[in-house]
Amino acid sequence: MIHDLPADLPADLIGAKAHGLNELMRLGLPVPPGFVISTAACRAFLRDGRLPDELPPQAGRVSVRSGAAVSMPGMMDTVLDVEPDQVRSAIAAVFSSWNSPRAVTYRELHAIPHDLGTAVIVQAMVYGDRDQHSGSGVAFSRDPSTGAPVVFGEVLFGRRGIDVVSGSHATRPVTDLAEREPAVWAALESALGRLERHYRDVCQVEFTFESGRLWFLQVRPGGLVGRAAIRVAVDLVDEGLIDRGTAVQRVSAGDVRAARTPRLRTDVDLLARGQGASPGVAAGRIAVTADQAVRMAADGPVVLVRPHTSPLDMHGLAAAAGVVTSLGGPASHAAVVARAMGKPAVVAAPLTVDLQADCVRANDRSVPEGTLIAVDGTGGEVVLGDPGTTTAAEDPHLSRLLAWMNADLR
Amino acid sequence: MSENLVLHTLRCIGFADLGRVAEACGLEESDVESHLIDLAVDGFVTRQRGEFGGWGLTEPGKDEDARRTAGELDEAGARSAVAGAYQQFRELNPELLDLSTAWHMRTVDGVARVNDHADSAYDARVVARFGDLDRRAEPVCADLAAALPRFRRYRVRLAAALDRARGGDLKFLADDMNSYHGVWFQLHEDLLATLGIPR
Repeated sequence: MIHDLPADLPADLIGAKAHGLNELMRLGLPVPPGFVISTAACRAFLRDGRLPDELPPQAGRVSVRSGAAVSMPGMMDTVLDVEPDQVRSAIAAVFSSWNSPRAVTYRELHAIPHDLGTAVIVQAMVYGDRDQHSGSGVAFSRDPSTGAPVVFGEVLFGRRGIDVVSGSHATRPVTDLAEREPAVWAALESALGRLERHYRDVCQVEFTFESGRLWFLQVRPGGLVGRAAIRVAVDLVDEGLIDRGTAVQRVSAGDVRAARTPRLRTDVDLLARGQGASPGVAAGRIAVTADQAVRMAADGPVVLVRPHTSPLDMHGLAAAAGVVTSLGGPASHAAVVARAMGKPAVVAAPLTVDLQADCVRANDRSVPEGTLIAVDGTGGEVVLGDPGTTTAAEDPHLSRLLAWMNADLR
Repeated sequence: MSENLVLHTLRCIGFADLGRVAEACGLEESDVESHLIDLAVDGFVTRQRGEFGGWGLTEPGKDEDARRTAGELDEAGARSAVAGAYQQFRELNPELLDLSTAWHMRTVDGVARVNDHADSAYDARVVARFGDLDRRAEPVCADLAAALPRFRRYRVRLAAALDRARGGDLKFLADDMNSYHGVWFQLHEDLLATLGIPR
């Protein structure tokens, strides 16, 4: 039930995360040493409350992370920076979190069986907050919003990975590494290239660098949707990594349907990119308070830009054509209300709302209230002006893929 | 005193028309309107005209509500009971947000799309999970009502919203000002305002 990493065992036993760590190690990429406790041990623990008797000895502090066979992002516990004598209780806590009400709800809604259990990965800690040459981040081998072949992601200097995921700190584009930590950047870029060739698909990694040394904590292949998934599939054919049949298989009917949703034009002045939280496109003048949104809406469409929203902003949300917030995720108040009202919304946008100066700041630019912007609630883009939308018919990648699909049918 | 209740309700529900304030308070519209007029004379509330207008708090009104609410809490000796219930509420809150998201969005073939409510089995699973959450929220509401009677109204309003949703009026889960999500969010705002916690 306990296996040293790499552990060449099926994902239903060691979980998807440990499976990814195996692949990283097999490719010679740096992964902190550790071991995985199988889903079978979790099932035994949930049945009779017993953990495996013997754990491998730990030399120092470790992280204890969940890793189910089917990904359930954010639903289970992670315990970081654990004293060796507290590892057993941390493992018990992670196993128990399989049955937390949130996790149960997630499985109900996604039709995942309740009896699978999760694996637990115990790894030596690496510290993104060790010194000024340390940090953490996430990176995609291609832009997950458009599928464009550029490394994309975010990084926090001098912080741990938890600060990147929680949205509690303003992150920097991962490309900032090129200047501040060129060796880390070079290693990251080359690893992403190697992972793409290995998986023959776009990849996402979580990483930490400690005193200038890069470590990988997770890899996930694929995961792009809609137009981005279509672009990647077509580009990978052009790059000779997959054939046309594989490209056609990889793209789902849902991707093609999603690709038909009108999107903002891409040749635009991008102010910020957050997370799309309510699909659709809206353009209007910036209002930075709900009261202002109501007043300005009398003269034309308004986009409400707020740090977050609360019930006190309901009248502004009702008056606005679209919503942008800098905090909160896709389940935030602003996102839920925008979807209920059928309005496009972008959340977690990297910008600040300055209520003293009545302006919005993003990327070292300051944009006053009243400025025309447009939002795309699918891709999360916030752009200056109103560039209008593109339709699926104008997307060359989609046209090529559809042609391959049709050829396949004949 | 019901004027305090009207002021505080407006603090928690935000801009609203008379009918919605009265519903949230559980008082007659005529009584609520007369309190609102008194509060407007004192400069604590204001009425905005127009399509998205309604009654709302002024900044002095917000301060006045904070003062009155803190006084009420300390007079009742209820601060630690409300703070305890708030901790329990915070544990349930992410679930409510997950469920509201699941109601609006569905991941099919890996693509998150707006839930078109064509799959009644999926919708039924979401409604069932709202019911499960509600069962666990009930003791939290009971603790709050025991600490301060004005919290009683939330149990009534949450139960009414869930009943209407179960009866087929599905907008009462997360798509209406008085939906389960809407009332829940007002309760959240109320707890923050009552305990003086900034959002």
